[in-house]
Amino acid sequence: MKGKKIKISWKEIKRQKFLMLCTLCFVIYGIIFYYVPLGGWIMAFQNYKAKDGFFGSQFVGLDKFKFLFSDSTFIQVIRNTLAMGVLNLVSTFVMAIVFAILLNEVRNTMGKKLVQTISYLPHFLSWIIVTGILHDALSSTGIVNELLVNSGILKTPINFFAHKEYFWPIVAFANVWKETGWNAIVYLAAITSIDPSLYEAATIDGAGRWAKIKNITLPGIKPTIMILLIMNIGNVLNAGFEVQYLLGNGLVKSVSDTIDIYTLTWGVGQNDYSLGTAAGIFKSVVAIILIVAANAFAKKTGEETLF
Amino acid sequence: MKKKTKMKKGPADIAFVICNTIILAAFVVITLYPVLNTVALSFNDGIDAVRGGIHLIPRIFTTQNYRTVFNKNNIITGAYISVARTVIGTILALAANSLLAYVVSRKRFIFRSQLSLFWVITMYVNGGMIPTLILYRNLGLTNSFWVYVIPGMIGAFNMLVMRTYMEGLPDGLEESAQIDGAGPFTIFVRIISPLCKPVYATVALFVAVGQWNSWFDAMLYNRMSPEYTTLQYELMKLLSSVMQQGGSANPGTTGASTAVTPVTVRAAATVATMLPIICLYPFLQRYFVTGMTIGSVKE
Amino acid sequence: MKTWKMRRLVAMLLTLLLALSLCSCGGGDQPSSGNNEGGGNSSGSGTGNNDNSSDNNSGNKGIIEFTMFTAMPGSEINDDNEIQQIIAEKIGAKVKETWLTGQTDSEAIGTIIAGGDYPDFINGGEAMKSLYDEGVLVPWDDYLDKYPNLKEMYTDKEWDSFRQDDGKIYWANVFQNTYGENRATTHNDEAFWIQVKVLEWAGYPEIHTLDQYFDVLDRYAAEHPTTENGTPTIPYTMLCEDWRYFCLENAPEFLDGYPNDGSVIVDKENLKIVDYNTTPTAKRYFAKLNEEYQAGNIDIEFATQTYDQYIAKLSTGAVLGMCDQWWDFAYSVNDVFKQQGLDQQGCNYVPLGLTINEGMENRWHTYADTLNNSSGVAITTSCKDIDAAFQFLNDMLDQEIHDLRFWGVEGVDYNVDENGLYYRTEEQRARCADPSYQASHMCNYSYMPQWLGTSKDGKNAMQPNEQASEFFDDLAEPLLNCFKAYGADSYVDLIGSVVEENAPWFPMYSYSNAMDTTTPGGIAWTKMGEVKHEWLPRVVMDPNFESTWEQYMEAYNAVNPQAFLDEMQAELERRAAA
Repeated sequence: MKGKKIKISWKEIKRQKFLMLCTLCFVIYGIIFYYVPLGGWIMAFQNYKAKDGFFGSQFVGLDKFKFLFSDSTFIQVIRNTLAMGVLNLVSTFVMAIVFAILLNEVRNTMGKKLVQTISYLPHFLSWIIVTGILHDALSSTGIVNELLVNSGILKTPINFFAHKEYFWPIVAFANVWKETGWNAIVYLAAITSIDPSLYEAATIDGAGRWAKIKNITLPGIKPTIMILLIMNIGNVLNAGFEVQYLLGNGLVKSVSDTIDIYTLTWGVGQNDYSLGTAAGIFKSVVAIILIVAANAFAKKTGEETLF
Repeated sequence: MKKKTKMKKGPADIAFVICNTIILAAFVVITLYPVLNTVALSFNDGIDAVRGGIHLIPRIFTTQNYRTVFNKNNIITGAYISVARTVIGTILALAANSLLAYVVSRKRFIFRSQLSLFWVITMYVNGGMIPTLILYRNLGLTNSFWVYVIPGMIGAFNMLVMRTYMEGLPDGLEESAQIDGAGPFTIFVRIISPLCKPVYATVALFVAVGQWNSWFDAMLYNRMSPEYTTLQYELMKLLSSVMQQGGSANPGTTGASTAVTPVTVRAAATVATMLPIICLYPFLQRYFVTGMTIGSVKE
Repeated sequence: MKTWKMRRLVAMLLTLLLALSLCSCGGGDQPSSGNNEGGGNSSGSGTGNNDNSSDNNSGNKGIIEFTMFTAMPGSEINDDNEIQQIIAEKIGAKVKETWLTGQTDSEAIGTIIAGGDYPDFINGGEAMKSLYDEGVLVPWDDYLDKYPNLKEMYTDKEWDSFRQDDGKIYWANVFQNTYGENRATTHNDEAFWIQVKVLEWAGYPEIHTLDQYFDVLDRYAAEHPTTENGTPTIPYTMLCEDWRYFCLENAPEFLDGYPNDGSVIVDKENLKIVDYNTTPTAKRYFAKLNEEYQAGNIDIEFATQTYDQYIAKLSTGAVLGMCDQWWDFAYSVNDVFKQQGLDQQGCNYVPLGLTINEGMENRWHTYADTLNNSSGVAITTSCKDIDAAFQFLNDMLDQEIHDLRFWGVEGVDYNVDENGLYYRTEEQRARCADPSYQASHMCNYSYMPQWLGTSKDGKNAMQPNEQASEFFDDLAEPLLNCFKAYGADSYVDLIGSVVEENAPWFPMYSYSNAMDTTTPGGIAWTKMGEVKHEWLPRVVMDPNFESTWEQYMEAYNAVNPQAFLDEMQAELERRAAA
């Protein structure tokens, strides 16, 4: 991206007329399919009723936003969403990188292929299945409690789902479990594109495995890490609802409900699309701010940027 | 890394290998378990499975669950549409994303940054279900096959993957072609695209997996057109009966007995959806690894 | 070379696209779509003939094919379903049913409204009101008199209760309608359930109160710490998952001797709404649960278990008792008991009509039909042949068709004995329970008008599960003994609820179910649910009951339940006056 500045001139535009033409098509397509529906955001400022449509519904200004931000539950779900979003982001990120690096250190090609093939399988399991297994594994008679009790760490089995402090880690673990292998593919690919001669030179210099990982592998995949990080920072508020819905219960409700669940109960369950849209706008705005900030930060520090 | 002939194996090295093997083995075990458990359940008798406690081996073996899944109504139509949308959707997405990536990866292009931003934004904002539905209806896309392949043609993430790869190609290629008098489209088709095979394969797989797995669009836009149902939607009908939310405690509204799909049939449906992708993956893995280079390989 | 390849690719692509678009145009019989402009064509006359059926024609000559969406999850039947075909040939029409998948009912109806693509028949669950608001439903008033079977479903007074603001009828609930003599054998309602083996062990005592109930459970559990196959006994469990938390939450209503109004108690004498969450009975009930929990007699996982886990637990036969609705557990659990032979060990559950104090009347069982007028089947303005649609609804209630729907084909799915009574052999019963067979052969049209009670032949039951012979053939020995010991003929006798007519406002839940956040009461109603979800398990589990109860009451009152109660009161007065 460090290319020389191109001056905008007629001559330049003429020269780039093919690119301009393509851009025009893509922008038109993008506007139709991605930006026109944003007109639906007007619902957030109305008391939207399907029969009245966008033009006939009663205009209520910022009432819906006022309702949201004066509702202590909404503040609580923002906290939960952020906490789980960040926890998920960090843990899946770190695990995927660690897994990729460890896998790369395996010399046995067969073993490597096997492990990798197995690793992405859970990506295709639906959350219903994954949470069902998690529920069984963590139940008072499940395998985890059995191990903990038999090894003497615990005296009596604990009910993991009854304690608020365990909920976020359980969700993070579930995400790691499901996505590590799939996410690691990107890093594995990046590692393979590192120039092998760097490793050879390091070996000659007598560098050990740790030194090589630290000085060659990690810096080699740093651009990949950075760009994915920027991209995913925008998704911090998309902590989802399925896992939380399927794993949560009344006891941990105050830490398990996310913005999406809130939107479902209030927006959809009660037919209040306006409220759901208002919450959606809030999420989008936060995402854009985060992304732009992260991108600017990366630009400043000379890292890879998104745009 | 091919030449690792005379690697010295110090004690630290050996310790590392052992630890690494143990960690990865543990990883494989906890990853494989849910999958194997699902497979085991899918071969177990439905009523018996309600008792719980099935781990890796079915207690009462049966293939009935698979018969239930494959005998399901519309499964053939669904499979046909699923294959069609996967093939057509992938081709269209590949064509559109690669051209867009080509445009934004031209270093001299004036609006490259703005165009990128234009698409990056689409990753994080959306107008919501209802406005999108109204738009599609007005465009005549509902109750048609095209709703599967036209709206989602360009994905910003896929475009970025391709862009990064194209940016990594040597500049000299394009310049020399220009000197030879080739126009930008010719350069894209004849110079750039052949070199991008790996990244095309990667994106193709991403799109294909996405197309194959999606069901929500089938339900939302083609609810009343069973001729455009997809395999995943049909299987989702089996899966989703346990997810029902907001039910009510009154038989007057729920009817005498709501059909809850046995957990074993759900397992069979899951295995059925996973299988094609699992079979496909090893063949594409080669491309997948070399093509998936986002944000790297500069200079 | 390269361009040639490219060209070939493009050519291939185009061929594919062409082929596909041809296929999709040729193969599809477009079900009624895009005809939603004609909102006013409901006043037509017609005589219920299928003259303009050609649009909906599907290959079978003269058979109209309707579409239907039901905002409930359900099992699909095959396109070539045998009984559906038999019915279609008899009445000249069939209905292609679509069910809810991965959405809530209001979400689904919301998207259907936004998409403007309506089926011919629709059952919008609790979201019927939005369809009415949208003006896409056909009023029934001009048609009802022409279709006697349909008309017969309700009395004039009952039909009136379906009238909307504009005074017209747009839908009819299809369930809980008894024809002739009531044949109910199961207690298809809520109760405190207990395993028959516990009753047998205790010598079939009379159990009337919560204290007596837990006393028996605890004593049995103390003497039998595990079941015969070694699973630890769980004296009592309850389900708190999502909407199923009624198992924990609404017992105080019944313990005070009131019927299932669902969301509130109605004080008949003063015509006042009473909140059952804050009554002294509620506090005593939860205090009792707390006491039992602290004593280790309640499943420690009750608050966190999922529905699947709960059913799995019950299926082991190790759970002695719980509070639940029959339909919530019995269908799955009883099958497992049978398969495992646990029914012979007395693991089946029977209902007890508990009250908070000795000597009170109980109303756990609802004898009369529950009329939930907030939902039902409706015909939309997209329907091209409204008379034929009404004719279909009418035909559904024809006895011959009704038997086909619920009993199946004579000689195949059931037999008739010399007295004209229908019965099923063991083999037929097993086959009718098989999902694949159901999909290919049986056609219930389960969300279409139907009867319970006695068939028009005066002998049989309208639906097999109410046929006395079917019921008793299915009972295991220990259950029969239990019935005998208490002198009961059915589950209904066992629970011994007061026999009475439903009050004119019953059930109040049909109003609260349809509430939304546009009113303060609706907001309060949602919030009350949230608070209860969070606090009730704590109230049971916390060693310090009194202070937790107070905190709960504080949180509860903070969400303004009065707003909800006021709106319920207004509705009660409206219904009582009507």
